[in-house]
Amino acid sequence: MEPTNPLLDDFVLTLARAQEPRILFLPTASGDTTTQINAFYARFGGRSCTPRYVSLFRLGDLACSLEELVLAQDIVYVGGGSMRNLLAIWRAHQLDELLLEAWRRGTVLAGISAGAMCWFAGGVSCSSGTPEPTVGLGLLEGSLTVHADGEPERLPVWLSSVRSGMLPGGWAADDGVGLLFRGQQLERVVSSRPGAGAQRVDAIAGELVRHRLEPELLGGEEPPCAPALDDDVRELRRINRLRRKMTGESHRFSDR
Amino acid sequence: MNVETWPLDLGRESIHAQSALGQTEFPSPQFAQKREQAMRTRTPQIVALGGGGFSMEKDSSLLDDYVLSLTDSRRPRICFLPTASGDADHYVVRFYRRFSTYCEASHISLFRRDQGGAGVEEDLASHLLGQDLIYVGGGNVVSMLGVWRAHGLDDILRRAWHKGIVLCGPSAGSLCWFEEALSAFHGPPRRIQGLGLLPYSNCVHYDAEPARRAEYHSLVGEGMRRGFAVEDGVALHFHDTHLARVVSSRPDGRAYEVEQMGDKVFEAALEVNYLGADTVTPLSIDRTVAAA
Repeated sequence: MEPTNPLLDDFVLTLARAQEPRILFLPTASGDTTTQINAFYARFGGRSCTPRYVSLFRLGDLACSLEELVLAQDIVYVGGGSMRNLLAIWRAHQLDELLLEAWRRGTVLAGISAGAMCWFAGGVSCSSGTPEPTVGLGLLEGSLTVHADGEPERLPVWLSSVRSGMLPGGWAADDGVGLLFRGQQLERVVSSRPGAGAQRVDAIAGELVRHRLEPELLGGEEPPCAPALDDDVRELRRINRLRRKMTGESHRFSDR
Repeated sequence: MNVETWPLDLGRESIHAQSALGQTEFPSPQFAQKREQAMRTRTPQIVALGGGGFSMEKDSSLLDDYVLSLTDSRRPRICFLPTASGDADHYVVRFYRRFSTYCEASHISLFRRDQGGAGVEEDLASHLLGQDLIYVGGGNVVSMLGVWRAHGLDDILRRAWHKGIVLCGPSAGSLCWFEEALSAFHGPPRRIQGLGLLPYSNCVHYDAEPARRAEYHSLVGEGMRRGFAVEDGVALHFHDTHLARVVSSRPDGRAYEVEQMGDKVFEAALEVNYLGADTVTPLSIDRTVAAA
């Protein structure tokens, strides 16, 4: 969710099988801040999808079970923040198992920063203050480090962790770069910003072997990924929103 | 160590005397030893609020004042843990508004340890173990316990309790100290495991919803430990693991002991001391021996 650049988010929407995908936002890593929830709705509210979020701090707001909610989604989108807290809270609510099940069923799992690294065997997180190798959910076999250009202090920690074998080999991604995996297979590397890149790094006989990956720049010659909404769809949504409000099922933005 | 806030009778004079003798190490090993001995003689204390305190009661500070009075310090060091709310900013602000004028107030944000200026950036254990009072905020107890364990706070809080640092909190900040609890305020009713410092079960906001009593009774009937159900505005004060006193910020606040005997669940009302009364019953002589 880059504030002024929707290319990566539109790309995520194109990956769902549904024409108007249900997309669930998990702001867990931030402590479910209103800022992050509002940014999610600002980005996805006007797009061809059904956005929703769930707070694991305010589960009282949830009308169905967590399982029903998560397994009904086409896309699960995870926000950034503390990777260690994110995984600890998911485990406490058994959401880790639900997400594994959702992944098996073909739900698109996406996320930024901690929300990107969480899917891998491990990453480099600043959850305790300084960058340190952190274990992830392990749906994907390699490791990932994010903000390779934006927060340069992470990269050396990741490289030395890969060299020492503390983390498996994997990928380093600059800000604005997305890695698309189908199963365990890296299928595409995309970018919302010219000049941003990624690299694959492995430790072979104690030495680091690095390969630069050149991303496809999104939004260039291609047709727009997610078409703008037609007026009649907007109209229908407005009615649905009002109806939900009247039955008290609308999402709540308030913190308490 | 900030000697200004040191709560024990090892006064400033003795510290200054030692400084004058040219101690290069501060505090001196002798002072540190005396302090440790003094600390060991302090009884572990937990004040479990069924609901209330600065976050829930705008018109009453009775419960917060009561908790502060237990620290025997004129300017207590008090640290707030807002974890159960996801470290919500508004909660942290209200904490400082309430306590910063007459306490050495701080907070720990476990979501923002990478950002300077937001709470305590030094070693978590040394900061928490240097407090007189640790105040745990309300919210979702399951999420809070998950985060605490991920940062080793479960262990640190146990040490703080043994050291005699007063532990308190409403709602999730109450449930967490017990072995078992009914968590329902921020989600569907659920039997959960707490830190287990207190070998009972706990149910808070007992008056908030009509279903709460039936849910708690049925869990105790299913084998959950005997324990305490507490209404908003009421607090259980434990010395070590013994319930020493029940206090309330409301004249009609109630708390109950709930226990299974045979195949039935019994509920007994506890004697509640209203803190706003002209005279408050003095605390009965402590039956417990200080923890070693």
